Amino acid sequence: MNSTDDDQDGTSRRSFLLSTGGLFTTAWLGTQWAAISAAAHDAGDMAAADIAAAPAWTGFKFLSADDAKDVDAIAGQIVPSGATPGAREAHAVYFIDRALATFFAAWSADFSHGLGEFQAKFHAASPSAASFAAADSETQIAFLKTVDRTPFFESTRMLTILGMFSSPKYGGNFEGAGWKMMGFEDRHAFAPPFGYYDAKYTGFVPYTEKPA
Amino acid sequence: MSARKFKPNETVDFVVVGSGAAGGVVARELSQAGFSVLVFEQGPRLSQADFEHDELKYWFLSGITSDPKSSPQTFRKVSTATAKLPQGPNPLMYARLVGGSSNHYTANFWRFHEIDFHERSVYGSIPGTAFADWPINYQELEPYYTKVEWEVGVSGLAYASPFDPPRSKPYPMPPMPVKSSGVLMEQGARKLGLHPFPAPLAIASQPFRGRPACVHCGFCMGFGCEARAKSSSLFTMIPEAEATGLCEVRSGSYVYRVETNTAGRTTGVHYFDHHKREHFQKARAVVLSANGAETARLLLNSTSNHFPDGLANSSGMVGKHLMFNQGAGVHAVFEHEINDYKSVQVTRILHDFYDADPKRGFYGGGGIDARINPQPGLWAMASGGDLPRWGADLKSRLEAFPRSTMSTGHSTSLPLETNSVSLDPAVKDAWGIPAIRVTYKDHPDDLAMAKFLQDRSYEIMEAAGAQKLWRENVQENSGGAHLLGTCRMGNDAATSVVDKYHRTHDVPNLFLCDGSSFVTSGRGQPTMTIQALAFRAADHIGQFAKRNEI
Repeated sequence: MNSTDDDQDGTSRRSFLLSTGGLFTTAWLGTQWAAISAAAHDAGDMAAADIAAAPAWTGFKFLSADDAKDVDAIAGQIVPSGATPGAREAHAVYFIDRALATFFAAWSADFSHGLGEFQAKFHAASPSAASFAAADSETQIAFLKTVDRTPFFESTRMLTILGMFSSPKYGGNFEGAGWKMMGFEDRHAFAPPFGYYDAKYTGFVPYTEKPA
Repeated sequence: MSARKFKPNETVDFVVVGSGAAGGVVARELSQAGFSVLVFEQGPRLSQADFEHDELKYWFLSGITSDPKSSPQTFRKVSTATAKLPQGPNPLMYARLVGGSSNHYTANFWRFHEIDFHERSVYGSIPGTAFADWPINYQELEPYYTKVEWEVGVSGLAYASPFDPPRSKPYPMPPMPVKSSGVLMEQGARKLGLHPFPAPLAIASQPFRGRPACVHCGFCMGFGCEARAKSSSLFTMIPEAEATGLCEVRSGSYVYRVETNTAGRTTGVHYFDHHKREHFQKARAVVLSANGAETARLLLNSTSNHFPDGLANSSGMVGKHLMFNQGAGVHAVFEHEINDYKSVQVTRILHDFYDADPKRGFYGGGGIDARINPQPGLWAMASGGDLPRWGADLKSRLEAFPRSTMSTGHSTSLPLETNSVSLDPAVKDAWGIPAIRVTYKDHPDDLAMAKFLQDRSYEIMEAAGAQKLWRENVQENSGGAHLLGTCRMGNDAATSVVDKYHRTHDVPNLFLCDGSSFVTSGRGQPTMTIQALAFRAADHIGQFAKRNEI
């Protein structure tokens, strides 16, 4: 976990949200396990019904339906759909909603504030569009390029990725869509060879001389 | 023999605070030597059946690590700033359960080299730092490194590296099977004239002392081992200590104060049980192995008339000289599948740049490995440098996950008196005990060395034929998992906290043994040395006790 040089206490929200680069940079966010369990249970309950029918824009615990559409659209630009699943197919918005309602509830006020600012700024930039979600993809991308260093975007980016690749029991990564896109197998045992190059490896050749 | 349960009023020979890498070794050695030992562990006792492949829980929701809500820490870069609570994770990362952070470590088990113990004599002083020699040398520690390898369990290939320090025995297990990332690193590095070699790991490559071999699930770093193949204290030292019939591990028990009498000797420890009820445990001697942050905190929270500045702190050095290590990675994509999320994190490393070299213009040294932050979310989250952050470029990077790896440097941190663990004047934990305050700012040489190794990593991946390369940022630390140097070892009671046998200079029956004892930081993989020190400390402590010299 690292921070920017401009804050001497190193603890600003911005510094945390921007700090996802190194080995321990994506360390955990604090919460109580009870909240995690509740979220997982809650997400599990709704997985079969609401999520299977998504996007129905129902069943949200924290986001309004309109806000959920905007968040879904932002997530859909962070990890776009295509030949392989993106954030929308992984139902990342449902993870984000559950997270902000439960184990990331400490972020919820900042997130709501950031989303409100995002929406207001978008409206000012594109007054003819009914909402960010309703805008065409080119307009969305052009606007995101103007805000992609803001704390709100960084937190949405982080939540989108977690929503794509965390266990499906938390409400995202629908039917393992994120894992499938990445080629990750959720298994408890593997056997060598693991990849192309080690399959062709002929063995370690010892060094005969100590370097100068 | 079943584990011992001590009666409430019983005086034990030794209380050991902490059940992790060091505490487990100390408990096992002292109990096997015939002493009664009571180990306190704040966290719960879990088994391999309790561990899960749940990335969100373990990396983002304090699954087994210190929870910021109940055990907050504050952070600042400089002592003139007011430390603040981070809105996200605690700055210091350590596990709270029986076995401590040996449960979730990556298990890279490098020995220190001979140079680590006497760099100050070789390179001279570094202005503004407390750069110093250790009061012990490699030769004194070598038998205990061997003990770690054979009794805790390390796999590797002896003398594979031409830079390896002398050793008295080979490894007890062969190295783990090489992964494609290791093959690529080896090919690239050899092209450049470097000397990559099989990584030594505290993971069983074959059945070992009643534990099964690794099943290559890939969830090592940050996770407890579901196969018992990782040589965590939970699976190795703790059960062997309990098997003596002389050792109790009291989990869910939080020691918050070490008590002393008017003679300046410790008499035992105060602790909260899992219902937050307070108790006092009597002991003839106390060993703190609570980690490089909690050991210092416990001493600072144990003030008395006799020790007004904290226990064993007549030097004023308790909590000072905190070191994290440094490092920065290079992400690489290759033509064919690597599948680096499978199996252990690292299979090849190199030590060509281990020693400092004055010609570089700065102090520092380190190693380079091939690895990946293996779980998909952690890997996808990486940003900084020129890594794509969103959109089609990010999607392309994510889709290339099976063909991706990293090369990462692991390097030195200089000991600075200004980098410290202290008590926050305002923040308390859920038990009402003053919280840890971290003050940390990297020395410029630490960042320069991290950048140097990143440049070499880039060259290695390029020589290996990477199709695409991205650099992470070289950044200042604002937290870490390697908690080193806060109660440094030394011969001079005015500038150090413990002597060369880990006995505090101030309290004859109080010993400290964990990362806090380090004088310099090593090159980024400290647990091997923490455990070697623990074997050595326990050996000497046991001899002192038998000679009635405690």
